Amino acid sequence: MSSQQVPSSLRDILADVLEISPEEVTPELGVGTIDTWDSFRHLQAILAIEGEYNVQLDPSRIPELTTVSLIQAELIAKGATL
Amino acid sequence: MQNDTERQDLRRHIKEAVASNDAGAAVRHARRLLAAAPSKPADVMFCASAFTGIAEALTNDLRAKRLKTYIVRSVTVEPILPFLTTEAVLSNYVLDLTVGGYGSYVDELLNPQSALARSKPDLVLILLDLEDIAGRLPDLCADGIGNGVEAEIEESVARVAQLLKNFRSGNSARILFQGCVVPDRTSLGDVAEANLPHSLANAISQLNQRLAALCRTISDCVFFDVDHLAARHGRANWRDARMFLASRLPVSSASFGAYAGGLVRSLSPLFRAPRKVLCTDLDNTLWGGVLGEEGPEGIATGTAFPGNCYLEYQRYLKQLSSRGILLAVVSKNNDADVREAFQVRAADLGLTLDNFVATKISWNEKATSIRELAEELSLGLDSFVFVDDNPVECEAIRQQLPEVAVLAAPVDEPWKLVDLLSAQSFFDAAVVTNDDVNRLNEYKAQAQRAELANSAGNRDEFLASLEIVCTFLSALDAPFARSVQLLAKTNQFNLTTRRHSAAEVEEFASVAGGQAIAVRVRDRFGDAGVVGLSLARTQGDTCSIDSLLLSCRVIGRGIETALLAHLGQNAIRTGATRLVGEFIPTKKNAPCADFYLDHGFVQAPSPADASPNSIFYQLDLTIAAPESPKWLTLEGKESNEFSASAVVAS
Repeated sequence: MSSQQVPSSLRDILADVLEISPEEVTPELGVGTIDTWDSFRHLQAILAIEGEYNVQLDPSRIPELTTVSLIQAELIAKGATL
Repeated sequence: MQNDTERQDLRRHIKEAVASNDAGAAVRHARRLLAAAPSKPADVMFCASAFTGIAEALTNDLRAKRLKTYIVRSVTVEPILPFLTTEAVLSNYVLDLTVGGYGSYVDELLNPQSALARSKPDLVLILLDLEDIAGRLPDLCADGIGNGVEAEIEESVARVAQLLKNFRSGNSARILFQGCVVPDRTSLGDVAEANLPHSLANAISQLNQRLAALCRTISDCVFFDVDHLAARHGRANWRDARMFLASRLPVSSASFGAYAGGLVRSLSPLFRAPRKVLCTDLDNTLWGGVLGEEGPEGIATGTAFPGNCYLEYQRYLKQLSSRGILLAVVSKNNDADVREAFQVRAADLGLTLDNFVATKISWNEKATSIRELAEELSLGLDSFVFVDDNPVECEAIRQQLPEVAVLAAPVDEPWKLVDLLSAQSFFDAAVVTNDDVNRLNEYKAQAQRAELANSAGNRDEFLASLEIVCTFLSALDAPFARSVQLLAKTNQFNLTTRRHSAAEVEEFASVAGGQAIAVRVRDRFGDAGVVGLSLARTQGDTCSIDSLLLSCRVIGRGIETALLAHLGQNAIRTGATRLVGEFIPTKKNAPCADFYLDHGFVQAPSPADASPNSIFYQLDLTIAAPESPKWLTLEGKESNEFSASAVVAS
């Protein structure tokens, strides 16, 4: 799977937060798959994404959104325009 | 609002600047990228990451202050760190951040072996939640009657005092202590919160005042009024209950930028002296309209709109002046016209010409006028702020005098000028001393002295005619805040330019053989206040002078010689036979490069552990001790009175 499958806005945010290049943001990327994505970066990423798409995620769901594709699915379920 | 192409362009510029290690360009582009309000969190993280990569260039090329910073906390701060890093760089600080453990703040502050104590930081940010500072208050205040509220506040402040004092006793780091935020909603409701004496809102305001008062008693410590910041940005959106309850995040993500900006602005006075002079333009800045075209009756000032916008600005300037910021007029006008306007419109103006330390009203270039002012007042250009409505004048100053801070007055929206000015941090000070308050008179007296110098015959006669009196006192009583302020801001006559903290000065005053002397000066024209400081220590037969400095306002009157002579006498009393002076050259202290040679010292070899820039000089005290000039009257010299407080015999 490639980064092309991740919407560019989401890809760019994650690249900034995780300090990696946008091409490295694939749907399978997730907590623990790279060094920089630890629990604090996870919180940072979620907050940045919430700000960008103007949505609020349920805190009990946040720890479960451990990959790019899960985050993407949650945003779509919340009605965000990616 | 930036469009996405502009954003991407700016980000590309920043990347390129980082790649070529160009700190100036990186900061310039980042400033533009982040100017969009609200800035995108991802952009802030991008900038933080970029800045971290060029920390060395920021410190070396932009002279950013690099601060080893330790965050003591009981809340989640990690998502806020990129915002803190970025805001700090935009204010020219590079923070090397370490974050302490969640629950370990008590141990960190009290235990001399804690990670905090061992890391010897330059700065400690103490960010605790109300729960940790005074956790029982919400319940005690629930009925508004408040049995036990006072006692709880008392206990809480005592507990914090113990933490801060204990930490201070073993560590000289600057401290920022954050207060509590008044909760937006409580079970009492708004009316009862406002009316009942012991509502939570009232209790927390009282707690914050007590904590601020406590911080004033701790050296190098500021209170960070986060509640004021929350009120300014809107309490309703300051906190996100969801994220506080789920992750103990104390502020909402939308407030991260404002919070980080407030933190940086509050910590800044711990490290940087405020600017000292505000130069204001007249036409369409101090008043509305152009005097030369509309005449004194035609310019807008006074109680009616739009004149009252200008009156607000004039009153704001007068308030700055009352705490020692010097005001100057820099205007292209006819001098006689301006004087007439101040006379004719006196009733409509919030200022008189007497409120200005100097006026530069001519058709000269404004950069020339400001340069002249700097020379006349013996102040560096980095002490100046320039306010003008004309974009061309503003740009000229930015280019020709980059050290001067420039503020463009909004000519079409004059009501905004006061807000624009107060949003800037350049006059921020955590402490105001009596010397600050008296500064205007002192600088005016300087002008009178310059006049007398022209009429007096020879130098000694002139100096004698000034009737100068020097009073020596312990740096701890100068008052102490003034001594520390002198160390922080004296540049020209400063032999070593060591920016010691208050704790380090106390160390000189209390250690065996140490001395920390301040000198206060007055003459027939006025009281210059405490203007000089010296720190030294005798070990064995040698007294080493760590610091010797004098405010540039009083250089050339022999006061530096008197200070050295006084220090020499103390050194002899502590058993020294040799006086060793040190000079560390900087960009600004050339005026005192030959100080020791001029006083009979000879160059001496550097000790092994000395810094390579230092030049050492020595004087054999058994042959000749420095003597004070004849034209000075000395006070506070009696050894008994003095030695008790500042000289401890070894």
